[in-house]
Amino acid sequence: MTRLKKLRLLKCKQIFFVLLLQLYGLCLLAQVNISGKVTDAEGKGIPGISVSIANTNLGTSTNVNGVYNINGDLRAGTYTLEFSGVGYKAKTQSLQIGTASSYTADVELTGDVLKMEEVIVTGVSAGTTRKQLGNYISTVRADELTKGATSNVLTALQGKTAGAQIIQNNGDPAGGVSVRLRGISSILSSSEPLYIVDGVIVNNATNRVTNTQNTYDGTTFVGTIGQNRLADINPADIDHIEVLNGAAAAAIYGSRANAGVIQIFTKRGVSGTPVINFSSSILISSLRKKVDVNKAPVKFGGPTDGPTAFTQDIITTAGTPAALLTNTTAVTRYDYQDYIFRTGIGTDNNISVSGGSEKTKYYLSGSFYYNQGIVKNTDFRRFSFRANVDQTLSRIFSVNLGLNYINSASNEKPDGNSFFSPMNSVTIIGNFHDLWTRDANGNLKAVGERGRVNPVSVIEDFKQREETNRIIANLGLKLKPMRGLTFDYTLGIDNYGQGGTTYMPPFAYNVNTAFFGGGTTLDPTLNGYMSAGNDYFFQINNEINGTYQFNITPSIGSTTQIGYSVQYENNRYSLIQGRGLAPFIETINGASTPLQSVDDRSEISISGIYIQQNFRINNKLFLTGAVRRDGSSVFGEDQRNQMYYKASGSYLLSDNDFWKNMSWWNTLKLRAAYGESGNLTGIGAYDRVNAYSSNSYLSRIALTGSTRLANEGVKPERQKEIEVGTDMSFFNDRLGLQFNWYHKRVEDLLINRVIAPTTGYSSLLDNFGSLENNGVEMVLNGTPVNKKDLRWEITAIYNHNKNKVVEVGPSLTLISTTTGAPVSLLEGYPVGVFYGTFFAVDGNGNQVKNSSGIPQIEKGTQNSPVSYTPQRDANGLPTGTTLRKVIGDPNPDYTASLTNELTYKKFNVRIQFDAVQGVDVFNADFRTRQGVGNGKVAEQEDLGQIPRGYILGVYQIEQWRVDDGSFVKLREVSLSYNLGNLKFFKDINISLSGRNLISWDDYKGYDPEVNSAGQSTLLRGIDFGSVPIPRTFKFGIAAKL
Amino acid sequence: MKKQLIKILYGVVIMLLLFTSSCKKDYISPSSVPIDVAFSSPQAMAEITVGLQRIYTVGRGSSLYNRVTINGLLTNELTVLNQGNTGEYQLQLGSGNVDGTNSLTAGLWTTSNKIIFDAGNLIKNAAKLGDKAYASGIIAYADLFKALALGDLAMFWEKIPASIGQNVSFADRAQGFTKAIAAIDEALATITANPISATFLYNIPAGIDIVNSLHALKARYSLFSSNYAQAITEANAASLTIKSVFNFTTVNLNPIYETATSTNNVYAPIDSTMGLPPSLAPDLNDKRVPFYISTNAANPRFRVSGFGAGSTTQWPIYLPGEMTLIKAEAYTRQNDLTNGLIELNKVVTKTPASDAYGVGAGLAPVAGLTQAQLLDQIYKHRCIELYMSGLKLEDMRRFGRANSEKKRNFLPYPFLERDNNSNTPPDPAF
Repeated sequence: MTRLKKLRLLKCKQIFFVLLLQLYGLCLLAQVNISGKVTDAEGKGIPGISVSIANTNLGTSTNVNGVYNINGDLRAGTYTLEFSGVGYKAKTQSLQIGTASSYTADVELTGDVLKMEEVIVTGVSAGTTRKQLGNYISTVRADELTKGATSNVLTALQGKTAGAQIIQNNGDPAGGVSVRLRGISSILSSSEPLYIVDGVIVNNATNRVTNTQNTYDGTTFVGTIGQNRLADINPADIDHIEVLNGAAAAAIYGSRANAGVIQIFTKRGVSGTPVINFSSSILISSLRKKVDVNKAPVKFGGPTDGPTAFTQDIITTAGTPAALLTNTTAVTRYDYQDYIFRTGIGTDNNISVSGGSEKTKYYLSGSFYYNQGIVKNTDFRRFSFRANVDQTLSRIFSVNLGLNYINSASNEKPDGNSFFSPMNSVTIIGNFHDLWTRDANGNLKAVGERGRVNPVSVIEDFKQREETNRIIANLGLKLKPMRGLTFDYTLGIDNYGQGGTTYMPPFAYNVNTAFFGGGTTLDPTLNGYMSAGNDYFFQINNEINGTYQFNITPSIGSTTQIGYSVQYENNRYSLIQGRGLAPFIETINGASTPLQSVDDRSEISISGIYIQQNFRINNKLFLTGAVRRDGSSVFGEDQRNQMYYKASGSYLLSDNDFWKNMSWWNTLKLRAAYGESGNLTGIGAYDRVNAYSSNSYLSRIALTGSTRLANEGVKPERQKEIEVGTDMSFFNDRLGLQFNWYHKRVEDLLINRVIAPTTGYSSLLDNFGSLENNGVEMVLNGTPVNKKDLRWEITAIYNHNKNKVVEVGPSLTLISTTTGAPVSLLEGYPVGVFYGTFFAVDGNGNQVKNSSGIPQIEKGTQNSPVSYTPQRDANGLPTGTTLRKVIGDPNPDYTASLTNELTYKKFNVRIQFDAVQGVDVFNADFRTRQGVGNGKVAEQEDLGQIPRGYILGVYQIEQWRVDDGSFVKLREVSLSYNLGNLKFFKDINISLSGRNLISWDDYKGYDPEVNSAGQSTLLRGIDFGSVPIPRTFKFGIAAKL
Repeated sequence: MKKQLIKILYGVVIMLLLFTSSCKKDYISPSSVPIDVAFSSPQAMAEITVGLQRIYTVGRGSSLYNRVTINGLLTNELTVLNQGNTGEYQLQLGSGNVDGTNSLTAGLWTTSNKIIFDAGNLIKNAAKLGDKAYASGIIAYADLFKALALGDLAMFWEKIPASIGQNVSFADRAQGFTKAIAAIDEALATITANPISATFLYNIPAGIDIVNSLHALKARYSLFSSNYAQAITEANAASLTIKSVFNFTTVNLNPIYETATSTNNVYAPIDSTMGLPPSLAPDLNDKRVPFYISTNAANPRFRVSGFGAGSTTQWPIYLPGEMTLIKAEAYTRQNDLTNGLIELNKVVTKTPASDAYGVGAGLAPVAGLTQAQLLDQIYKHRCIELYMSGLKLEDMRRFGRANSEKKRNFLPYPFLERDNNSNTPPDPAF
């Protein structure tokens, strides 16, 4: 026998021996019972605390009373019980197992200001504590989410997590919300984080099933408008949310996570007597601030309506030679806001049942939410049902299932960006028309001579509705075949059908054909518009992970993980539409002119594999390294699969002996992380293919080539992020401070770059240039008062992000937008800055005015995009070509939040302020209001307080429309009182809360927190007809049974 | 030992997975045709030629809208009603106010080059087709739009791109007319060799008479190139009675109607003078004025009529009156005043009823004119007969009209081109 063979045989023998030993070991085990109660500082039992016995696979969690019970086979010896749960410092307790059959171990857990011992799941499949992480992850608990008088999970997150800019783009009851973690990380694609609910990657798309008119066409022309599908998630089902800002965890989630991850965990059953939770509330929403309107008793020129009507009197010239009219006509001025807006009423009702045995746990919930918009005849309704079941099958095998069915529906009005939305229709007509008069047949009348839509038609006659039916399902299997080894598998399915209908009935009066009217002749082939749009989305994700934990030496532990994931999604979008409608018929059958229908189908497949290795040294130094290979079907065949690397480390300086003397400084952790990721959904399914698309045209087919040329070998963007941070706590953990600095660079940036039209194309899609985000995040938690009856907690968050386009091909790219917003990509400046014409100023910074006192547009010689030389003529007025410069930036200098929470006996008060500072908004509505004569500047011109022609003179100066968008908002206020128990009701809690109550800003519109381009990445900070965010009050009652 | 074994096992599995797992899925879009596939199908090629017409005529971004609007605003035919329409308003203000960001000039530049590019590919690939009669249709239809696009570039810019490609050089604009004529000659020769098959004609929309349009455009560009004999020959070859038009439907509206006529919010005719100076202003009885401009009690008083009157009003590719006026001008410039006057008076005296499109002055003939006076009259009648056709800026330069009568002489080059092509010439001062 050679030595090698001997060795092999020995190995085989050893394995056999080990197996035998294990079998033998089983015989030595004794059945024991360990029980106890986990309590908080006040002695109250804490439910849902996980209790496990180290180095075994025995474990459970506490029931509603904080009591736990473990039955298992254990040999005699010393064991360590580990207790951990969200919001509490983990604790270990030693337990000696002897010959007795039952043992008791009670523990008291203390609050955890830095949440260092909190178990984190995001980015680390097996779950680890925050202490070990090299990168920053924040956790938001359920009670923080539900105090803010909102039923949208994303708005509920506003101001509660560092590094996030969360903007509600529209005040509709299901208005779109954008989330950006650490700035904009892409230009072409969405820069929104990856959303995961219980392991299911959930779709957050904004699908255009309503607002389907061609006037909304074009993604960078109008933006991404409408509701985003996270509106379907019911916040009341949520247990907690983990927000991962950086790319460092991309190794686990793959490159889809390059803009961060928001992982939502829903509530799960707790063993014990079933508990019924219910809550009911009433919501009252209203317009927070009205815009002042022109109250001048006169207008220039002739009558407002009728055959000789003359509107837009402020800027329209007439006569030969053409001149502004100075004669006036007496008019009645109206405030159409009183007609458009109302006080919206809503209700939010939730009921849940949870409970179970030690082996089977369940959580069942049902919810009904209804809320009216502040614009008349708009609302949102959501039914949601959820079932979460956890089943332990055997000591080594457990399974869980989650099912969530959602039906959400909304009645809408056309979005902004058009001449026929409620907001635009009041902004785009002078406020001197009596909208409500009807002719003998009861028909509304035209407003003025320009064929504008009467706002009464929009409010009363337009019907726009969408409805979504959605199922989110997850199945999880967990296998612990032996000590230290875990396999888990997650199957997630997200499937929805979203249908929308839009109906603009034929008008009885002159409406411009461009607004789907029939013109002066009421042309029956054009008058009215209808559409039915449908989007069917299906996604399946499979994730399988294996984790092996063992101790190399008593002081060095190792965790190895490998994982494989594969995701597939398909989307089918179809739209039928027509114009020239028969009265009363709202479907395509009633359209005399069927318009081009749309039928888009796409499929995407993504797969990835990773390995991650983690070492724990003396439980104070943690090192992690990972490599991942990811592929996505949307990229060029040779570029599809890419490798990404990650490394991180953290060191708990305060766990050293020399730190023990430092009584006032309890924790100091230093951490650093580096991560790479690629944007796997950076382009559409077929964007890399150069192709002709077809249109029906004059009863024939026209194939039209794309204006965009694509590099067929296009590859994913590669993001490299480095993050350095520290976590500190002081004064017995009464004060916590977390600080992060990051540098994020995106290379091979996907840009649809403008190219010379003489190439035959207008743009080229390829990997060009790069962009950067540099920033800091700070979180301060403090508990100034912590007495038995009185507790005061403060949380302050500060985020600063500096975004910069490093390279984009040509140094300047101007983007044409429907709002006229001069959005641009300019090298060295943040993404989406406003680049346009500006006021001429003299040496002292005062506006240059002509002899009539009208400010002038700056002219001269443009030397480069960012350098120019103004010129003056003999009269000192600007001359030469019109000059341009950066006139505004929609990226804020910083965002901050301050939350104070006070608990006195059974009272609880929570007050949250959010601030966004150093940000500009392109206020298109402001100029339009002056141009049509219903704004305050127009009033001054009507009254002769400013020179006649002032508004006409400054109309083309884009800087006039750039407005300061900085604000401080009283975002959330909540007052609650716990009534205790009453008959069979327990824990009765009544609350009054408010949202967006006060805003301190200098904005000239309704609310600077707005984006008419919706969830667009490139077009931000634009105000053109969006519904302002309402002020909401909520009165609620909750109890247990 | 066990641990080591597991580690080894892990290692093997990982290596295997990392290097074998990869995304190999290839999904094909069911709703578009990749370029190389498209050029393998004769029918797809016919549909691409139809696509050229769509690019040329559909919507506010079309060549047709931009050509008519840019020309109308620069030559005082039109006036902007709402200066919120920034692109149009810049053109109305003219000179330095029109810069490289102007959406209309960028639009015309882009669609023209796109048409030239696509037409080039079609002509190249059609030559490879076995069915020569089918190929002949593709070539002729593509050449027609190529000629229009080249002509549009040459009418508005001082220099035109010498070719399609990366960092192309520029040529004098006269080259544009020469190349347009070459394209037309190629089309005519192809049709002569292989008459267009009926199968091809089924694939294109009704409206355009290919051969007559080719002759008419050749006459137009020959005149612009001062090739008078050829202009007369070709004008004679174009039928004065057969209509050749761009059709519109309620789905694809007449772009002038869609944007200007129906909205009263973009632009309207300046007034009944059509923007001409008093000495050349239309006669009060000229029936062409009410044809092109409707007068209303309500504001705006003057509104677009003529070929932008309705949602589906046909747009002529050429007018019979243009052919007659080309001959009048060609004779006059060759000092054949007799024939020049005869041709001019055909237009002056033409009644609406006798014109294929209803364009007729219905005036008494003119007489006793010197060559200069005759040219002035030809200019005047071109401005009226061909109102809002997009040709007036070219006419103004050819007839030596003063800069004070126009807002710009030539357009500046769009920034899209200048920023991405180092050969872009400097902008003209005016």
